[in-house]
This record gives sequence, structure tokens and C-alpha cells, in this order.
Amino acid sequence: MSISSPEEKPFQKVMKVEGVSKAFGGIQALQDVSFQIEAGHIHAVIGPNGAGKTTLFNIIMGAYAPDSGRVIYKEKEIQGRKVHEIVSMGISRTFQNVELFGSLTALENVLVGRHVRTRCGFLSAVARWPWVKEEEKAAREKALEILDFVGLKKTGHSRSVDLPFGWQRFLEIARALASEPQLMLLDEPASGLNAVETQQLGELLIHIKERGVTILLVEHDMSLTMAISNEILVLHQGRRLAEGSPREIQDNETVISAYLGKV
Amino acid sequence: MYKRLVFIAVIVLTGQVVSNPYDLQLLTFIGINTLLALGLNMVMGYAGQISLGHAAFFGLGAYTSSLLTIHLDWSPWLALPFTLVFVGIVAFLVALPMLRLSGYYLGMGTLAFGMIVFFIFLQWRSLTGGDSGLIGIPPLTLGPISFEFGAAPFYLVWGIVFLSFIVCERLIDSRIGRALRSLHDSERASAAVGINTSRLKVQVFVFGGVLAALAGFLYAHMVTFISPQTFDFLMSVKIVTMVVIGGMASVWGSLFGAALLTLLPEWLHVFAEYEMIIYGLILVVIMIFLPQGLTRGLLDIYEHFKSRRKTLPKSHEG
Repeated sequence: MSISSPEEKPFQKVMKVEGVSKAFGGIQALQDVSFQIEAGHIHAVIGPNGAGKTTLFNIIMGAYAPDSGRVIYKEKEIQGRKVHEIVSMGISRTFQNVELFGSLTALENVLVGRHVRTRCGFLSAVARWPWVKEEEKAAREKALEILDFVGLKKTGHSRSVDLPFGWQRFLEIARALASEPQLMLLDEPASGLNAVETQQLGELLIHIKERGVTILLVEHDMSLTMAISNEILVLHQGRRLAEGSPREIQDNETVISAYLGKV
Repeated sequence: MYKRLVFIAVIVLTGQVVSNPYDLQLLTFIGINTLLALGLNMVMGYAGQISLGHAAFFGLGAYTSSLLTIHLDWSPWLALPFTLVFVGIVAFLVALPMLRLSGYYLGMGTLAFGMIVFFIFLQWRSLTGGDSGLIGIPPLTLGPISFEFGAAPFYLVWGIVFLSFIVCERLIDSRIGRALRSLHDSERASAAVGINTSRLKVQVFVFGGVLAALAGFLYAHMVTFISPQTFDFLMSVKIVTMVVIGGMASVWGSLFGAALLTLLPEWLHVFAEYEMIIYGLILVVIMIFLPQGLTRGLLDIYEHFKSRRKTLPKSHEG
């Protein structure tokens, strides 16, 4: 996993979102949203339901093309590219409602996550060249290491659908880590978790950050968000309402009134 | 490895024991149907893409090779690679637009494709012989051996089934196999982890199509006459039934499904005009009581009895 700690590359922006707008029919989901993500940080996006957070994720991941604006990842424009290209460039994601491969084991889920970092195709799978066996072996070792990293070492051979919900969340993060991303997009990873699991999640995200992975986090759990984020972007009705450190956001009058519905 | 040796032993033993030409031909047809079910199982059972037009590839394989050997006097062995490549290209061209669909719409699309191909066989009389089909297709020969009657075609077909099993098992137990199964579980998530889902779907569709073309080639040169009815919509449904009854996402299930669907009509002849009713009834009963298919269902029953014998009082897991 590449380590690009902030100390080594000061001021480096891993991603710049510039003036992104997106409308669905008459609904303006995002309106001229701009922000930058510092490498090695946890950057949170918060806002009430319908603020445009999920749309933002889908645009970054290539699921939607923006109506206008640019998404720049490591100096390259990525808006409108195919999802699999974006993943192989080093961005990965998890879903708000956990989307695992239910009939596959936990280990296999993580192995599928390594898809873009392996290259065996139809013919080589049948031929089983020596390099294919090597690749498979290395992929398994890596997958086991990642399972261990998220604390699921012992569950490797259980079908993912049989795991408790909290573990499924962690497994999905493991799968997203398997593509060796430099930027991870996590869509409400704490939802459905109990207090203990949320605590563990917070620790895991800090560990991931320490491995040099930048995180873009959408989350409703405010105490978690405030505790681990470096910056917070507040979206409201598709617009950027405020941005700043957790302390600044907590003290921001506009944010408070938007959340309490007194705009 | 152990399973493969047993498989070979069973094939060789069956070829030695069975001498009745009718039974041998029936067993050979089971092999051909297994190839069809195996190809569709990769598309449907593993990758989760329904296809109701699989018989079209079976027919295209049979007709392409027959026409090349009858009209151009090609040797069947020369026609074989050409047939596989040609049907592979057709499958590719069909898959490109078709696999943008999903669910029922994909079912409808593939069904329409199957119909179109069937009507081409039926209506392009100058080329395909229309309703009466093609006769005088040269049988496969290799030196002094002819693969038309007796044990030779049996061994040839089952040898190919054996190889196809190995190919499929290797595919399934690989990066590609995992990607296919992930597609089956959640296409959204599979795309999100970086799998080029449209490309993978096209690839597996072509794979299934080529395997069906191989089955068509074997069928045409063994029976030496073909007509459109063999490759109609009902055949497509029959292949789907083989996969579902045998067991989705199970290589061995394809074999059991193909065997059952080939043998059932034979056994049910005694019921004369009630044949179709009994046939339907058996399929309904299997689907109700063994919804995972025969293979999984029988294994479950076996494991159930095995565990009950060990620990009688324990009836539920914690």
C-alpha cells in the first residue's frame, strides 16, 4: 500500500471537485459544489437527507456524469469515466446499504475486491499458467492480511450473508481496501452499527488513514464525524453551506440553523 | 483429482458395459445436452444472466458445420474451428446490445433472438432446406474409426464433456469465476469494485455460445441429418430447465439436469398420452421440494440424515 503521508507531500490535494452541478428532472441535486480533499485526511460530508451527498459520491465514482463542473483526481479529470477505470486509478467505495456478494465467502468478497490489481483472464484461468497460480496465491495472502486488518480474520470462510450486520460493514470496507485505493469513499459506514461497533469503526478509519489512505466520509453519526474528521463539508439542498474543521462547523450559526430547520 | 478419476472410470465402464446401440445413443445425447447445460449454467447459474435463446447457438453450430461439409465438401474437422469462430462472433454481436438489458427484458431479448434464428433455419429454404432440414451430413471419422454408431461417438462426446468440465471448473475457481459469481449477487457492487461488467457478460455469453456450437457440431455429424425443430424455442426452455433442475451454479448439476431431462421422456413412454402431464408434474415436484436443484437438494438430504444419525436430539443450530 502506498504511503503518502501529509508530512512527505505537504499541501497536496488528492482530489479537487470544481463547480459540480447535477439535476434530475426538475430537482437540482447539486448546485455548483466545489471543495478539495487533502491527501491523508479524513474529509467528511454532512447534511440533511436530500442534501446531495449520495449524488456527489455517484459523480465521483463515475456512476453519473455531472451536468457541469470537473472532478480532478491527482491532476487528472475523471468525470464521466467508467467506474472500473476510476477504481483502477485508486478510488474505491462502500455503500450506504451494505452491498456484499452474499453467496461468496468473506475471503472471496475481498478477493473480488482485488480484481483491478490482478489480471488473470478467461484463457489464463483455463491454462493455469505458473504466473496465474502465483498471482492467486499472492492475492489470497493479501486478502487474508486485509481481513486481519479489519478484525475479521476468523470469518474468512463464512458466507458473507451469514455474518452479523456489523461484520458485514467491516467486510465491505475490507473489500474496498483490497483494490489498494488512495482515496476511499465511505457512504454512512456507521449506520446500523451499535455503540461498540461504531467505536471500533472510528478506530479502524483512523488506522486506514494511518496507512496513507485518504477518506471521504458521508456520515450522520455526528460524534463519530466530529471525532475523526480533519475537515467537514456541509451540504444543504445541493449547495455548499459551509466547510471547515469540526470545531468551526460546530460553532457555525448557519449550519446550526440549517440542521434545526430555522434557515 | 479423485472426482475426475471416478468420472473417467464411470465413462469407460459404461462404454464397456452398455452394448445396445439405442442405449449408447441415448447416453451420447445426454453428453451433448450436458454441454448445452454447462454453457448455459456459466451464463445463467454463475453470472446470473438469463438466456432463453440458447438453442439458437446449438442450431447455428449444427447448421454451419453441416453446410460447410455438404456444400463445400470440407472435412468436418476443418469445419469445426470455423464453426466455433463463426458462432462465437454471432454470440459476440448479439451480446453487445442484448446484455445491456437485465432481468425479464434480457429474457425477452434472448427469446426473440432464438425465434429469429429458428425462423431463418425454417424459411431460408435454398440454404437450410427449410422444414425438411439437411440430410447427408458426413459423419466424423478419424482414420478407420467412424463416430456415427456404437461406442465411438459415446467416447468422443463424453471425452469432450470431461474436458469441458475441467475448463469450467478452472474458470469458476479463478479470478474470472469469482467475478462472474459477484455479478450474479450484485451487479452494482461488482461494478463498484472495478469489474468491467459489460465486458465480462459478453465474454461469458460468447463462452456459452461456443460450447453450444460445439454440441451442435457433434450432434449434426452424429445424427447426420438436422431439421429446425431440434433447435426451437422448446429446446431453449429445455436447456434452461436442465440448468434449474440440475442446480444453478453447479457443474455437476448440469450433468444431472441433462441426464434427467434426456431420460425422463424415455421412461415416461409407458404412460403414452399422459407423458407430458407426468413430466410436468415431476418438474413441479422437484422445484417445490428441491428448489436449489437436484444436486444441492440431494446433498442436503444426505447431510441431514448423516448429521441426524450422529446427534439425534440436536435439531437446530445456534
